[in-house]
Amino acid sequence: MEFLWLGLQQLADPVVFFTMCIGAILGVVVGAIPGAGAAVTISILLPTTFSMDPLNGMTLLLGVYCGAAYGSAIPAVMINTPGSPVAVLTALEAKPFVDRGEARRAMSLAYSSSFVGGVLAVLALMVLTLPLATVAKNFGSAEFAMVAIAALVLVIIGHGGRRVEATAALAFGLFLATIGIETAYSTQRYTFGFLTFLNGIPLVPMVIGLFAMSEALIQLTSRSTVHPVVQLKGHFFQGFMEVFRYKRTLYGSSFFGIFCGILPGVGEFLAQQVSYVVAKRFSKEGHMFGKGAPEGIIVSEATNNAVPPAALIPMLALGIPGEELTAMMLAVFLVHNVIPGPDLFVTRPEFVAGLYWTLLFMNVVIILFLLVATNTIAKAALINKRFLGVAILTLSLIGTYASGYRFSDVGIAMVFAVLGYILRSHRWPLTPILLGVVMGPIVENRMRQALGGANGDLTIFVTRPISGIIVAALAILIFFTLRGWLKGRKPRQDWQINDT
Amino acid sequence: MSAEPESPANRLEGLALTILFAAISSGLLAVIGLATRASAKGGWWTQPWLMPGIALGLLAVANLVTLWRDLADLRRTPPTDAEKVEGRAALVAWLRPLEFLAYYGVYIYSIQHAGYFPSTLVFILFLLWRVGLTAPRWILAGIGLSLFMVGVFRIGLGVWMPVPELYRLFPEALQTPLIRWF
Repeated sequence: MEFLWLGLQQLADPVVFFTMCIGAILGVVVGAIPGAGAAVTISILLPTTFSMDPLNGMTLLLGVYCGAAYGSAIPAVMINTPGSPVAVLTALEAKPFVDRGEARRAMSLAYSSSFVGGVLAVLALMVLTLPLATVAKNFGSAEFAMVAIAALVLVIIGHGGRRVEATAALAFGLFLATIGIETAYSTQRYTFGFLTFLNGIPLVPMVIGLFAMSEALIQLTSRSTVHPVVQLKGHFFQGFMEVFRYKRTLYGSSFFGIFCGILPGVGEFLAQQVSYVVAKRFSKEGHMFGKGAPEGIIVSEATNNAVPPAALIPMLALGIPGEELTAMMLAVFLVHNVIPGPDLFVTRPEFVAGLYWTLLFMNVVIILFLLVATNTIAKAALINKRFLGVAILTLSLIGTYASGYRFSDVGIAMVFAVLGYILRSHRWPLTPILLGVVMGPIVENRMRQALGGANGDLTIFVTRPISGIIVAALAILIFFTLRGWLKGRKPRQDWQINDT
Repeated sequence: MSAEPESPANRLEGLALTILFAAISSGLLAVIGLATRASAKGGWWTQPWLMPGIALGLLAVANLVTLWRDLADLRRTPPTDAEKVEGRAALVAWLRPLEFLAYYGVYIYSIQHAGYFPSTLVFILFLLWRVGLTAPRWILAGIGLSLFMVGVFRIGLGVWMPVPELYRLFPEALQTPLIRWF
């Protein structure tokens, strides 16, 4: 109780509250602009949060993360263009609603299911993180290494249809993480004599180049299309309670989103796809899915919004980021010397409790903002893509430069921008590169420690109970994945392809 | 995340990309002995080459699998003439971002000599002109964006920039605010 009270005290700080509101509103707006989105915004904002208090920095980034998950539904409904890949299903289901003149109803269903999914996930975060951290206190290096490897394997499996490309991207990220001076013998690896690389590839320029600048280049070279905006008519709260007529779907998809958020490497896109297929199979109105089913919107939005808070569970409890955005946020922790993991609850309880409450109140702030500003935000979704590209490119410079006050970092960002542009144009996933860079040192150091303790005996990973269970689970997962692959798959539909 | 799904990638362009990646990863793997140093002390698990070796090995294998898959696909369904023309055009299109990055390089260079605000203003207006946004409202939007950048990052967050030569030409009374805020 005292722990939660501590968090409320943090939230009562006007700076924290103000930052939360700014982050949430910014997140909604950028989520509603196709081509902007959470990844671009967080990567640009990342260096500016380094000078903030860790709670303020995290609150700002989480506001963008959660707000964007809500905001992406706006263009999906109102201009039938998903703000991000995770809103593809919402766009698919909302189109018949709009055609029937029920845009307000579709929007309300999206908002209310997003709210329920988001709030339930924050509650899960509050309830589950501490027990998981307590269990993790018994983890040794072998267990941490296996959890990290499991996350990497899940990242690959999560990119169904592009697993070979995801493997290559992940391996490339793992390789990038090895560049610089290694710790065991203080020797250089792949620096080729460049002093710039002695400390490794800097994370922020890499992230900005891969995610923001490459997006800007795509926008600059794209053609703008004009979509008509549907105006929402009717009372603000109209249709808000309808979502509770589908309790099983609502809570089922929320809990599924939470489960997938906890699993490192799964992410909202895969969670949403699986949740949608399962809900379609078990719903009494399964035949209506894809033709304007309320449950279709509920599944899409509840699952999508449940993932971000749940993704913080493994990061806070184990120090393992599950997807690209939490991987970026890990940088904020490390800059402030806040070490996520089991000890975080002892060393920085006010920080953890503050995060809980800000996340909970963030959902309220977002929903209130959406109730009054949806029509206005929808206009932001129509921003000219090339102008957006100019804005992102200009913002990227300040983001990259401010991370280390070195113009050489901008050069590194430019290299990754070209790489990101080429990979995106071939729909090669970018997320595994980032996760490889972030997880690489964790895997290498933990493996070295575990094997050092066992004098190089690899059976250490199967003889320790928890580690052994993870190895067995991974073996089963890989077996079934390979079996499915060898048997051949059905061709994937457009909405099942995630660009990142 | 790209907003709208792009059209399916050209297979020949994909093949070129895979060959390029396979060559780079194999090349990096080939120089592992030079780029890392083996140590006689310590166990195999502490060797500096181990992790890059695993990562590059995995990368090379994944690239070879993609290459084999691409080649098999092209053997099964040979590319049409139209696809070949499209593939060449797609390869040339790789140069398109380089054009914008060249402007970006000039922008970075000019910041150090002409100052952040003037460089940003010129860069934004030039890019807008280059992408065809020349209507007065876009020029106004560009000026607004430049002022926004200065307001948020230089004045608001106090991001430090090197002192440009251009500002030194101004009277001393103006130099301080220009250096500090613009």
